[in-house]
Amino acid sequence: MTKRIPLIARDLKQLYTVFLIVAIVLFAVCSYLTNFNVMTLIANGDAFWEFITEDFLPPALPKSSRIPGILSSVLVTLALAMSATTIAAILAFFVSLFGSEKVSPFPKAAKFVRGFATFLRNIPALVWAFILFSSLGIGTGVGFVALCITSFAFMVRAFVETMEDVSQDCVESLQAVGATFPQRVSQAILPSCLSGFLSWFLYCVEINIRASTIVGMVGGGGVGLTLFSYIKGFQYDIALSIILLIAVMVIVVDQVTGKLRKEILK
Amino acid sequence: MNLNSNETAFEINLKPAVAKRTARIPVKCKQKNRFIPVFLGTVAVLTILSLWYLEIDWGKMASRIPDVGEVFWDLAHLDFANMDLVFSSLVETISIAVLSLLYSLILGIIFGMLAAKNVFRIPVLSVVTQSFFTFLRAVPTPVWVLLMLVCLGMGPEAGVAGLCVHTTAFFTKSFAQSFENIPDETIEALEATGANRLSIFTNAILPAALPQIVAWAGMRLETNFSECAILGMVGAGGIGYVISNSLQGYDYGTAGVAILLVFLVAYCIERIFVRIKKKFS
Repeated sequence: MTKRIPLIARDLKQLYTVFLIVAIVLFAVCSYLTNFNVMTLIANGDAFWEFITEDFLPPALPKSSRIPGILSSVLVTLALAMSATTIAAILAFFVSLFGSEKVSPFPKAAKFVRGFATFLRNIPALVWAFILFSSLGIGTGVGFVALCITSFAFMVRAFVETMEDVSQDCVESLQAVGATFPQRVSQAILPSCLSGFLSWFLYCVEINIRASTIVGMVGGGGVGLTLFSYIKGFQYDIALSIILLIAVMVIVVDQVTGKLRKEILK
Repeated sequence: MNLNSNETAFEINLKPAVAKRTARIPVKCKQKNRFIPVFLGTVAVLTILSLWYLEIDWGKMASRIPDVGEVFWDLAHLDFANMDLVFSSLVETISIAVLSLLYSLILGIIFGMLAAKNVFRIPVLSVVTQSFFTFLRAVPTPVWVLLMLVCLGMGPEAGVAGLCVHTTAFFTKSFAQSFENIPDETIEALEATGANRLSIFTNAILPAALPQIVAWAGMRLETNFSECAILGMVGAGGIGYVISNSLQGYDYGTAGVAILLVFLVAYCIERIFVRIKKKFS
């Protein structure tokens, strides 16, 4: 047998072995619980390909009278994501000031602020949308509020982390000379963290473009609702063109935010 | 903006005349990035335009705010009568999330290998793979699940397959990135020994990228669980179906229990991976 040079340190190797075993056990347990089997999927392959080649491809354009409506629904989705993220960012900025022990004037309350944000964040946007639908009724406004809640909670966490990553020297020195809380925020936190905040804001816009499409599907309006109605109406070829439209929208937004982020972090 | 620049930006004004008059230390910080004010202005304008375009009926919403409180009050009255249903659908949701993660992990490594520029050194192959998966990634998961529901029928298969599409696309991109971060020297050293591309991959690139792969997988499990909790709402099974169904049937107690469980599981996953991440770094 040839001698081999170990490429991974022994303790690391043990760690990975543990991961592998955990993965295999999880795989076995989950497969058993859901009765999921790849083989049935492969056995169903013919039906799958038939669906793709006959119903799905090629993409068809909807009736020309519908096209302006679809484009305006794309605009609704974009507007929803944009406005919800901005409003959430403004709120999150003020709340996150109270979420960091080093900055907040009430350090003891910081934990509660963060806990509240964790609670809001760990419930998916769509669940919020459903809770709000049952009280506020279906509509764009509810989608707006649901997106606001999750992106608000996400940004509170991100902003607090940004503030804690940045050196606290200037905050402390300003405190030492007797600067008030608003002064500390505007002269120390804002200049040093603003670019970080904006970078997170852009990331959140990216997430929200997808999320607003999803929230739209269950009644928030926008391009998601249009897509949902075509899928429910078995017009898959038209649905494919709308999926392509959504993909283009998301990719363009990702490109734009990527460029902007580079500018901001310069 | 450089993060250290603000430390030097505090100019202490030592002119005696000024110090006598105001007795204040001016703490002026000069904004260096000219782009940020422009950006903020544009965002503000876009937001106002968006809000105007959406034409949300704020008055109607405000008038219904008391209802929101009522719904939350109802949700807080947890009803454990349907516990077995809630629990079994939660287990199903978690299993779907884990299964789709594991399958996509394997697929992601394979496609990541194809997409990385330094594994096979065929530029066309990596460009084609990258752009195909960029498209898959750009479309939200529920769309894929809806389509899978159509061709595979109800059940966990559609959920796993639909989630796999997006997760695999995500993994392909991030694994390809990790593979490309491997220093070229390692690969060249193995090339010099005459090893073929596949064994270079399994012996040099994959082991070096393992920590990142584990980190990505952990990050993705969080997302997958919350996505999976959503899927029920668009028609697939699982905990999302219980939530949307009981909310629509005014069975707020059961919905409250289900939402609470979703929160708890998501929170536990987050905590566990914060721990693991700390151990790794």
